[in-house]
Formats: sequence, C-alpha cells, structure tokens
Amino acid sequence: MSHHHDLPLNKDITARFVPKIVALMVYLGTLCFVFTLFMIHSSALWENQLTTPLSVEMPTLKTTEANSLPSRVLDLLNQTPGIQHAAVVPQKEMASLFHSLLGEDIDVDLFSLPIIIDVSLNNQEKVNFQRLEAGLKNISPHVHVTDHRGWQIQVSNLFHTSIFIAFFITILILFGALATATFATKTSLLIHGQVIEILSLVGATNSYIAKQFQVHAFKQALIASIIGSSFAFLTFFGLVILLEKAELPFVVHSSFFSQTLWVFGLAPVFMAFAMMLSVRIAVMKVLRS
Amino acid sequence: MSDFIAQLIGLGHQYKGVPEIFKDVTFGIEKGSFHFLTGPSGSGKSSLLKMLYLGLKPTWGSLQLFGEDTLKMQSRLVPLLRQKIGVIFQEFKLLEHLKVVDNVALPLRVRGVDAKQCRKQAQELLEWVGLGESLDVYPPSLSGGQKQRVAIARAVIAQPELLLADEPTGNVDDNMAMKLLYLFEELNKRGTAVIIATHNPRLIERSAHPHLTLTEGTILQLPKCTVLS
Ligand SMILES: Nc1ncnc2c1ncn2[C@@H]1O[C@H](COP(=O)(O)OP(=O)(O)OP(=O)(O)O)[C@@H](O)[C@H]1O
Ligand SMILES: [Mg+2]
Repeated sequence: MSHHHDLPLNKDITARFVPKIVALMVYLGTLCFVFTLFMIHSSALWENQLTTPLSVEMPTLKTTEANSLPSRVLDLLNQTPGIQHAAVVPQKEMASLFHSLLGEDIDVDLFSLPIIIDVSLNNQEKVNFQRLEAGLKNISPHVHVTDHRGWQIQVSNLFHTSIFIAFFITILILFGALATATFATKTSLLIHGQVIEILSLVGATNSYIAKQFQVHAFKQALIASIIGSSFAFLTFFGLVILLEKAELPFVVHSSFFSQTLWVFGLAPVFMAFAMMLSVRIAVMKVLRS
Repeated sequence: MSDFIAQLIGLGHQYKGVPEIFKDVTFGIEKGSFHFLTGPSGSGKSSLLKMLYLGLKPTWGSLQLFGEDTLKMQSRLVPLLRQKIGVIFQEFKLLEHLKVVDNVALPLRVRGVDAKQCRKQAQELLEWVGLGESLDVYPPSLSGGQKQRVAIARAVIAQPELLLADEPTGNVDDNMAMKLLYLFEELNKRGTAVIIATHNPRLIERSAHPHLTLTEGTILQLPKCTVLS
C-alpha cells in the first residue's frame, strides 16, 4: 500500500514519547495478562486435584486393636449420610509427598507415617460433622477428622480475587496506553492545526484526515508493541528458567508455557488495532467540533 | 437546477470587536461566468472569498452554494462543496513539508486519485506555469512568485466548477500575469466560473470581463471594461 503523508506526524513531539510509553505499557500489560492466565491455570489445577473436603487421620499403632482401626473407621464413614466415598491414601503416595517436600534423600521409614483417609462428599446431602466426630472418637480417641472446606474456600477466594485484580490491572494498563494515544493525538491535532485547515480547504473529508492519523498510529503502535512484547517474552522466559533453577514446585502444568506464547504474538496486533481505533475516535471527535 | 453556482443575498460580516466589513452584499455567480473583484485594501475582498469557500460564516444574510443553503446544510457536505471549488489564497497556504509536486497534487489526492495519475497531472501543470524544474523542491526554498504559481497550479488541478483567486498575480511580473490570466480564461472556457480579487488594473484592462467592486459595505457591479482605480 503506497500511502502519502500529508501530515508530518512522525516529526512532531508526540512521535518521540508515544512509542516509548506504548512499548512500556505493552510490556507491563502483557506480563500482567500472562500472570492472570497463570493464576487461572493454577487455580483450576488446584481445584481439580487438591480438593479433599474431609480427611481422617490416625496414628499407625503396633497393636492388634490398631490393625482393625482403619476398616472400622472406613465402615463408619461409608455409612454416614452425605459421604460419597472414603479411601485410605496409599503409603506409596504418602512417601512420594514427603519426598517432594523434603527431598529424595530422606528415608521415609524413619517417620511413622500416619494413616490418612481421604473423604469425598456427595453434594446432595449435608454431613453432620459433629455426629461424625463423636462417632470416630467412640472408635478410638486417636482418630482425628479435619474439615478442609473452610480454608479451601478461602484459598479459592484468594485465587479468584488475585485473578480479578491481575486482570483489572491489565485492563487499566491497556486503557492507560489508549489514553496516552488519545492525549497525544489531541496534541498532534493542535500542532498540525494549520496543515489540517489547508487539507480541509482543498476538500479533504474528516475521515481522510483521520485516516492519516490512523495509519500513523497503527504503524507506530505495531512497532512499539512488538518491542514491548518481545521484552515481556524475554522477561517471562527468564522467570521460568529462574524458577525452574530454584526448583520451586510449580502448581502449574508445563504445557501452560507453550500455551501462553500466543499472548506475546497477539498483543502487538491487538494493541495496534486498539490504538488505531482510539486515535480515529479522538480525531473525528475534534474535527466535528 | 438553477444556473447559479452561488447566490449571495444581503450578506454581511462583522469580526468581533471591529466595525462590520460589509453588510449588504447581494449578487449571483452564474455557471461559467468570469468576474474581477476589486475594492480598496481592507474592504473585505478576502473575507468575501473566504465566505464563498466556507471558511467564514456570514453574520447576516444568506449564501446558497451549488444549490445548498450553506447556513442550514449538514457539516459533512462542506468537504464535498469544497471539492468543487479551487482557491488561490492571498498568502498561498502551501504545505511546507511536502514537495511542490505533492502540494499541487493535494486536491486530487483527497479525492482519491491514484498516486501515479496525481504526479503526472501535477507535473504537466507545473511545467506549464514554468516550474517544471522544481517538482521535487520544498516550498520554503521558492521565491514569492514561484510559490504563487504553485498555489495556482494546486487551485486549478482538479478543474473546479468555481475558482476563487485572491491576488493571484500579486507576486509575478507582467508577462507571467498575462500568462496566468490566459490560464484562467482557458479554464473558464471549459466551464469553470472564475472570480479574481485583484488590485492590478492592467489585468482588468486587458480583458473584457465584468467586475464587482466592494465599496462602503456593498457590491457595486460595474459594466465590462470599466476601470475604477
Ligand atoms: N480574522 C480577522 N479578525 C478580525 N478582523 C479581520 C480578520 N480578517 C480580516 N479582518 C479585517 O477585515 C477587514 C477586511 O479584510 P480583508 O482581508 O477581507 O480585506 P481585503 O479587501 O482582502 O484587503 P487586501 O486588499 O489588503 O487584501 C480588514 O479591516 C481586516 O482588518
Ligand atoms: Mg485580501
């Protein structure tokens, strides 16, 4: 497309600071959005995998009475209304949990691992928690039942609030960038007032004039956003490597990282179109008055 | 459709804080007509032309342009009417950041003519006004007379239905003035109505067109070839 610059837009003062601000905003916005996705992803994982509403814990005692303890507890649990399923967590799984927390070198047998029963609920009936607790105490005073639902809801709420805030900040950054473009356009309109007047005297329509601003804004935003988004990608990549080196356990699937790449590719295109649109709106509004 | 391109009835204008410049201008511009517009400096010639190209709203009276009542029409029609008018501004109003050839082609470009065609036509016209060597020069490096010829080329390139020329020969020698007058007359023969505001008595003397004089706030229509200085 051969396009003519009837307005010297890339020579004015706004051309010096707008690309830098846009690049910075895209950098921050993209990272913030990826963080939002990360939170959504890990909260979904967490809610799917880590939710055991109730668990029952008992020590491994070396008595004959203790051997029948798990089965008596299981019987009681399975008869309790509102409980769908109760199962003993296998010792292997317990051991691997300990390994993941304390390292592979730990000899798990040194600990006397408790027996843990995971309980899943059926959602139609409510469990009478106090009666269950009393029933279990009746079997053995060493049996404890823990209700995880309270803190699980709290963690869940925390996840959702963080997701909301992160997304909200992303939107704020986007609006910040668009507002910058609008202010800069208004400044540009003032700077080029005389040129615009001459264009309109020779018969240029408002949309012809607006198009000059749009094309300029699109190119400017695209280049600036590609730079901003590239830096965001490098930062993201760096963080991933850093976190992996620190051997922190990600509460996230590794496919998340490859799935997020589209954000870095799409951000510049999205930004360029959004800037073009907001610049058009600003120009048309000023020219009409 | 009437045969008038413009009809001015009881037109007047007053800039804020100064006495009115004219108050009761009534005349019509017919299709294909040719008028000189004279009057002492400060009498309002430029202001009157400005109203005709919709750069200034009349304070009184009414102005019909191409059949539209300019005081009542929608603002989106303004560019469309302006596309039918070519203007040579007293102060040229060239775009300094554009090459001469691009300045001249501007009216074609805003009408959507493709770049190649624009350049070709602008080049032809610039050669005709003696600026064939300066196509790719920027206006600040031109003399007054050269700028004026660029402004003229820009005003006529789109073959407007109405040409408004404000002192179009103020900065050129007699020879060039006559050549430019010939250009305006050629355009007029092809159907363009022409109004030339000028102080140049020789221009008026050497052609047989009627002239309008702005005096005491109204227009006096003088018969052909009468020179009032
Ligand atoms: N923008 C303006 N604001 C206030 N007064 C103005 C403005 N433009 C023109 N005038 C006044 O209006 C009067 C007419 O000006 P105008 O330029 O129309 O005269 P003119 O006939 O073209 O003069 P000249 O022959 O010198 O070009 C002058 O007294 C001028 O001072
Ligand atoms: Mg004047």
